[in-house]
Amino acid sequence: MLEKIEYVRHTYSLCPICFRRLQADIVKTGTEYLLRKECPEHGFFSAVVWRGEQPSLEEWQEGVEPDEAYSGCPKSCGLCSHHLRKTCCALVEVTSRCNLSCAVCFASSGENIADEPTVENLSKQFKALVNNGNTFVQLSGGEPTVRDDLPDIIAAAKAAGCETIQLNTNGIRLGQDPSYTRTLKEAGLSFVFMQFDGTKDDIYLKLRGRPLLKCKEAAIDCCAENLLGLTLVPTVVPGVNDRDIGGIISFGLERSPMVRGVHFQPVSYFGRYPKAPSDLDRITLPEILRAIEEQTGGKIRIADFLPSSCDHPRCGFHGDFVVLPDGALLSLTVKRKSACCEKKGLTTLDEAAHIKNRNFVARRWKRTEDETAERAPRDGDYTNLDFILRRIKSHGFTITAMAFQDAYTIDLERLQRCSLHVYKGGKTIPFCAYYLTDILGGR
Amino acid sequence: MNSNDNNWKCAKCDMPLVKKKTLFTYLGHNITYEVSRCPKCGSVFIPKELAEGKMAEVEAQLEDK
Repeated sequence: MLEKIEYVRHTYSLCPICFRRLQADIVKTGTEYLLRKECPEHGFFSAVVWRGEQPSLEEWQEGVEPDEAYSGCPKSCGLCSHHLRKTCCALVEVTSRCNLSCAVCFASSGENIADEPTVENLSKQFKALVNNGNTFVQLSGGEPTVRDDLPDIIAAAKAAGCETIQLNTNGIRLGQDPSYTRTLKEAGLSFVFMQFDGTKDDIYLKLRGRPLLKCKEAAIDCCAENLLGLTLVPTVVPGVNDRDIGGIISFGLERSPMVRGVHFQPVSYFGRYPKAPSDLDRITLPEILRAIEEQTGGKIRIADFLPSSCDHPRCGFHGDFVVLPDGALLSLTVKRKSACCEKKGLTTLDEAAHIKNRNFVARRWKRTEDETAERAPRDGDYTNLDFILRRIKSHGFTITAMAFQDAYTIDLERLQRCSLHVYKGGKTIPFCAYYLTDILGGR
Repeated sequence: MNSNDNNWKCAKCDMPLVKKKTLFTYLGHNITYEVSRCPKCGSVFIPKELAEGKMAEVEAQLEDK
C-alpha cells in the first residue's frame, strides 16, 4: 500500500555529492519526517530528520517561519551578514592527532602532525576571538591531550581574556596522568566535555575499538580531585548504545556533583564513518527524548526539556535539573515564551541569545568550590531559599543534546541559526558547515 | 529606618510585623524564606537587601537559557 506523503515545509539543502545548493522539502510519511531533495546531476536524496509525534516537529519548532535562506549560504560562511546568530562558543582545533582511531569521527582525526599550531599562534587566535567578544572557547581536535603543552595553551587562552575554557577530550590521558590533569586546572581550564558512549565496554569496543570504561571512570576521579566539572558526551548510535541512554544518565547522576550533566550527540555521518547511512542508522532528537523518559522509568520526562534556544530548535534540546540530597531530581526547565525564545529571535539576528546561553552553560558546567549544600537542611525543606541557591550551584545537572547535520540532512534554515562556530584562519564558521564532508569524505 | 530592623509596622493594619516562613513562587517553583509579615492581613515586607541579593540571584539561576 502506498504511504500518504504530507508536505510540512520548504527549505534549502545541498547535494551530498557535489554540494550544489538545492531546494528541499520536509515531508511527513506515517510518523517519520524526511528531508528530500533532488540534484539535477546526481539524483534524488532522502534522509529521516524526525521520528514520532511526542513531541511533534511542528510543536517543537513553533514560531520558526520558513524563510528564504541567503543564496550564498553556505559558500560564503565565515560568517556572512545574513547569519542569524552570533558566536556562543568558538571551537579551536589544537591538533589533528588522536590517541584513538574510532570508526566514527567527525574530524577524521589520526596521526597527522602537520599544521599543528604553536602556542604563540594559538595565543594570537585567542586574542582575536576575545577582541570580537568571543570569550568562551572549546579546545578541540583531534585529541587535545596528546599535546604536552596543553597547559600552556590554556594559560594563553586565559591570558588573552577567555573567561570560559572547555576541553573536548576522550579522557584517556586525564585518567592516566593525574599530574597532567592538575596542571590543566591550574592553568585555568573551566570544565571538561568527555566522550562517554555508554556504561558497558562492548559499546566502546564497537565505537572506539577498545574497552574504555575504566579509563573514563579514572578520568572522572582525576577531574573530581581537581574540582574540574565534567560533562558526559555520548555519540548515540542506533543498535549500539540507544538502549543505554537511561544507564548513562544514571551513571552521571550517581556521580553528581563531579559529573555536571550529559550531552547527547545523535550520530551524524561526516568525517570518518563506516558506510553511507540508511535511515535505520539514524536516531533523531524526539527518539532520544522518548528514550530518556522510558529508560529512566519516568523520573525524567519529555516535558522537562525545551528546544535549543540559542540555535535552531531542531538542532538540540536542554533540560536543567538539581540533584537533591535524597537523590531526587528537581526540574528547573519551565516552558515559557520569553527571552531568546521570542519569535523575533528565531527569524532575525538575535543579539542576546548567544550571551544568555554562554552564561547558562558556564554556570552549570563548572564545579563550585562551595559544596556546603552537600547536606540537607535540618528541617528537610528543600524549598528553603538559602538551600536551593547553594544547591543549584553545587549540584546543578543538565541533560542536553546537539544534532549535527551531515551532507544528507543539512538544512540551511538550521545552519543560518548556528551559534557553535569553528575558528580557523581568522574566520568563524558554523560547526556543521566546517566539518561537512561529501559522500566520499571530501571537504 | 534600616530595612534590617525588626520594628516595622503594617501601614494598613498598624500591626507590628512578625517573622514568618513564607512561600514564594517564581516560574512555577516554590521557594520558602523567613520574612516579616503582618499577622492580620498577611502582607509581607521584602527588605531591599533580600530583593536585590538572594532573590535576584535565585531568579537568575532559575531563568532558563
